[in-house]
Amino acid sequence: MLHDLFDGYTRSILVFTGVNIMAAYSFYAPFKTGQVSLGQAGFMAIGAYASAVLTQKFGVPFAAALPVAGVVAGGIGVLVGFPALRIKGIYLLLLTLGFAEIVQVVALSWDFVGGAQGFRQIPFVPSILEYVVALIVVLVLFFARLERSSLGRAMDAVHQDETAAEVMGLDVVRIKLLAFGLGAAIAGLAGALYAHHATYIDSNTFNIMVAVEILMFVIVGGSSTYWGPLLGAGFLTLLPEFLRTLRDWLELVPVAWTDFFPMNRVYDFLHDALDFENAKRLIVYGIIIMVMMILRPDGLLTRDSLRRLWMPRHA
Amino acid sequence: MPEAAAPSIEIKGLTKRFGGFFALNELDMEVAAGHIHALIGPNGAGKTTFFNLLTGVLAADEGAILFEGRPLDEGRPSRRTARGIARTFQNIRLFPHLTALETVMIGEHCRAYASIWKALGSAVLRRPFDEAAEERRMRENAMELLAFLGLAAHANERASNLPYGEQRKLEIARALATQPRLLLLDEPAAGLNPNETAALDETITRIRDRGVTIVLIEHDMNLVMGISDRVTVLNFGTKIAEGTPGEVQAHPSVLEAYLGEGVEP
Repeated sequence: MLHDLFDGYTRSILVFTGVNIMAAYSFYAPFKTGQVSLGQAGFMAIGAYASAVLTQKFGVPFAAALPVAGVVAGGIGVLVGFPALRIKGIYLLLLTLGFAEIVQVVALSWDFVGGAQGFRQIPFVPSILEYVVALIVVLVLFFARLERSSLGRAMDAVHQDETAAEVMGLDVVRIKLLAFGLGAAIAGLAGALYAHHATYIDSNTFNIMVAVEILMFVIVGGSSTYWGPLLGAGFLTLLPEFLRTLRDWLELVPVAWTDFFPMNRVYDFLHDALDFENAKRLIVYGIIIMVMMILRPDGLLTRDSLRRLWMPRHA
Repeated sequence: MPEAAAPSIEIKGLTKRFGGFFALNELDMEVAAGHIHALIGPNGAGKTTFFNLLTGVLAADEGAILFEGRPLDEGRPSRRTARGIARTFQNIRLFPHLTALETVMIGEHCRAYASIWKALGSAVLRRPFDEAAEERRMRENAMELLAFLGLAAHANERASNLPYGEQRKLEIARALATQPRLLLLDEPAAGLNPNETAALDETITRIRDRGVTIVLIEHDMNLVMGISDRVTVLNFGTKIAEGTPGEVQAHPSVLEAYLGEGVEP
């Protein structure tokens, strides 16, 4: 159904936006307990390769390979979560980064999964957009309920003061492992969805920049509410598309209006600026994050601002 | 004053070293159930270390702790909280972004949900817009505890926005929410004005009357001598005196530790 609604290009954009939103939730889950992970791209790679191997080499249907990809990534996430329990801040960042690096090296040197050639001809799944939308709905509902539950509150408490949380009887070890494993599983699902849409992955598909972008999504969207990752990933992924549309409109401007000084310079500048190729996008990301850190360090959406929206009188 | 039954905690030869420094040295101590037992001593005497050893925040180097007759060998603080030991912190350690109500409900979590899977199940598997029954019960209990400490009006304020004295009370409420039988209060009067300290006196007595044994670290001697059943004095990690408030106040080594040598009582 969704398949027929959009042309191929739009569908592609929507799938990648959805995958990014899921990736943002995969960062958000461990971050809820204060664990900052730069390894989510690594878990995406694990899910992507797992699902690619299962479907292409063993003929498993995608509907069965997808949950397996999530479980495999989640299981490895719990294993990585154990050493991650004892370390915090910059050291955890480095540990998870190192993990993602290991995944990349394994993917690069393991011929069974294509090695340096990459994994080719992953079965294309036409209904991937339906999967993506369904999973995002499930994730939003899940995190909405988590936020209003005792477990969600416990995760917030662990984030804010781990020692005090442990002394107040919270099982910090299990809570952090659960959050880390959950995040890894979500990343695995996102990676698998990506693989069966792109049909080709290699060791560089899920590199450090992907991990940094995932982090950006949550920082920009806001990490104190479950709407933040959705907003951040949606906004930042669709921003280049939006600008591209503006550029298309710009080209509709009659030539007679712009072929004299200074309008020709203005036109050229705008035309150039709206062409949002990769390097420029990263520069703009950098600027956005600097501005955000100064103006809205908690992200575009915060739990308090949402509260004010719902109940203006209590503000 | 309730008469001493079986001891709440018995401590034998408890020792904690930081490098070559003995924070606690061969401490023997007994706290009777139902007592308010004060632990006093100059700064650096090992009082907070003692709390950290009891709650499992630090591991002891030597010695044994019995809690209600059974060895306290659970390693992790959360397991000891489950056994029935709760504490407050000398430097207030609240969860700054949670409201007062939410803060107290954190303390109740370990009683409401025996395992993380139960907590996850209750979070995810319920009808839409239907609050979990546990959640409702926790909220009611938490409101009761806030009222008990006179914080009901602040229930929906952020912990970090509360005045200092109220934050201290909120710490006590959070600790009580874990349903302890032994409560460790680490300088609850620090930074309070005389009125607040007087009110705290009454609060501690009322907590004791709920059947909670209390160990109290405190520098405010009026408070300590007024409400304590027994007082233990530490200096440089060693117990130098123990007894009723009257006995301790007259003890020569206590005077020496507090006022220096050569002072006539």
